Amino acid sequence: MDEARTMLDKIWSEHVIVPRAGGEELLFVDLNLVHEGGTFLAFDQLRTEGRKVRRPQQTLAVTDHYLPSVNRAAGPAGIANPAIRNVVEWLAENTREFGIAHIGMDHPDQGITHVIGPELGLTQPGLLITCCDSHTATQGAMGALAIPIGQSNQERHVLATQTLWQRKPKTMRISIEGALQPHVTAKDVILALIARIGIGGAVGHAVEYAGSTIRAMSMEARLTICNMSIEAGARIGMIAPDDTTYEYLQGRAYAPKGPDWDTALRYWQTLPSDPRAEFDRELTLDAGALAPMVSWGTSPEDSSPISERVPDPSEIHDLERRRRVERALEYMQLEPGTPLSSIAVNRVFIGSCTNARIEDLRAAAQVVRGRRTTVPAIVVPGSTGVKRQAEAEGLDRIFLAAGFEWRDSSCSMCGGSNGDTVARGERSASTTNRNFEGRQGPGALTHIMSPAMAAAAAVTGRLTDVRSLAG
Amino acid sequence: MEAFTTLTAIAAPLDIAKLDTGMIVPGRFQRIRRRPGQADYYSKVFLHDLRFDEHGKSRPEFVLNQPAYQGARILITGADFGCGSSRESAAYAVLDFGVRALIGASFGDVFVGNCMQNGIVPAVLPGEIVQALFRQLKTAPGSTMTVDLPAQTVTAADSTTYRFEIDATRKERLMNGLDDVGATLGHLSRIEAFEAAYRVRVPWRATKM
Repeated sequence: MDEARTMLDKIWSEHVIVPRAGGEELLFVDLNLVHEGGTFLAFDQLRTEGRKVRRPQQTLAVTDHYLPSVNRAAGPAGIANPAIRNVVEWLAENTREFGIAHIGMDHPDQGITHVIGPELGLTQPGLLITCCDSHTATQGAMGALAIPIGQSNQERHVLATQTLWQRKPKTMRISIEGALQPHVTAKDVILALIARIGIGGAVGHAVEYAGSTIRAMSMEARLTICNMSIEAGARIGMIAPDDTTYEYLQGRAYAPKGPDWDTALRYWQTLPSDPRAEFDRELTLDAGALAPMVSWGTSPEDSSPISERVPDPSEIHDLERRRRVERALEYMQLEPGTPLSSIAVNRVFIGSCTNARIEDLRAAAQVVRGRRTTVPAIVVPGSTGVKRQAEAEGLDRIFLAAGFEWRDSSCSMCGGSNGDTVARGERSASTTNRNFEGRQGPGALTHIMSPAMAAAAAVTGRLTDVRSLAG
Repeated sequence: MEAFTTLTAIAAPLDIAKLDTGMIVPGRFQRIRRRPGQADYYSKVFLHDLRFDEHGKSRPEFVLNQPAYQGARILITGADFGCGSSRESAAYAVLDFGVRALIGASFGDVFVGNCMQNGIVPAVLPGEIVQALFRQLKTAPGSTMTVDLPAQTVTAADSTTYRFEIDATRKERLMNGLDDVGATLGHLSRIEAFEAAYRVRVPWRATKM
């Protein structure tokens, strides 16, 4: 084997059961993560067909999307909305019936699936992981091949067979180079990238993020980068494992132990792309000059440095893009030319699989320490474990003293499945991944940004350059 | 899943770029089970906030609400139709609304896979052809088009025929209406042999929940 291979090539070939050059290949799934959103449809269908879950030991269910972020001690009975309560209860019932381990609402490990996968050491380099969620690529930051699947038909297929038909995507290496300026974070990097290549910029490709900026990032920052791969159009995002990955992983609950660790480590070290491996596309982003970013429109590609203004559609030459920006500004109730830092917000949400890990909460807490919020603001930790850690560090007291609500882990106001929504016409500063129309609730006006930037907005009540608050 | 061979039907021009799956099925409509007799529900929520105003009243100006397009089973879509979240209910909604074929310059990756799993044919054509189809349909609302899966062609209202590409396996399954789990379990002996060898190769991966 002297042919130079990419990391995707290596992990992919390790999992091919039925090869079909150029077509869809049957892949073995190491770990299938199931959440409650929509998957009741998959179980409905399995039950109707009289089928079983083929490998329950390689399946883990996690409740996250529909969990209330308050009043959790009351259990499902405390969920006032019966439609939401149903979804939570259906997953508990289905996992019992089909013999699947379940991290439910009162479990000490509960959290957002893409947060607890890495946190528990379930996510490991070289694994093929499926999850019925478009942000599954998050886990690719650890050198796993993490593939999003549909919540019903595809989920049913993985449950019933422990395999997945996939056509091998093209490869795209995005090299991000340079040292980040102070207060510029992984979120700003990925928003800047998406603003440059567009929401369809990487469609059909598995993205490998590389370069000095990525190598210098913590594991958690890398998770934020891979998380938003789908917002660049890529279902798969990956980062080669290195010492940062191994140090993060070692000792976690489900990480290999003892001699297994050594064997695994030797294998993981073979996974990074070979130096001469060729990618179908290459792109380089200079991150050294980036500033904190905010979105102003209704797609993550509609993002700009906070120092800029709302764009003027009349200056956009591409007709389709001009029409889309016009429509976005109409929805967002924004006038062209408005300085982004003058846009007032009604509420702030710090949470989601993008930005609710411990480092995110530390960054936000550092901004609000000793200050007061001027608008309603909530923090929803990415996992119950993150919440415990934050409380051990006293972050909860900083947030509470500043006027934030300190809640329980849930996907919460990211998509609003649990009823935590932004009201029609309300403008939110949010650490989430999507600012699509209605994403946080019908008529909600969403601006996405980093945790520190959202914290700054909570303090001033408008979109704010966090650097102007830094002491 | 219903087999797909050739479909001749009214085609509607949904000339809006980047309609994401959250617009196709807003999140608040994802909490109902889909059982026989309830398919209608997913039909109602298809593009709900474009078809209906906040009081639930039909928006007469919206293309799918116009009389000429009633019964449309083919949609011409703007670029990146179905981008965004992986919710499969988006494909259900398309199907339950009665649409069996989508024609566009590009589609969301996850969405397009879900469509094919549900018997919906996505035909990708170059952007300028899609623009031409929009113009044709707007000039003659209610025109029919034909999607011929075996031939991999789309025939426009003006009888021009365009070829599209589709994965050979997907095509075969769409044409046969084949249950995907059944098809896969046809490979069961290979799956089991793979698993046995895999456990030996990478013993630490024997996941224990």
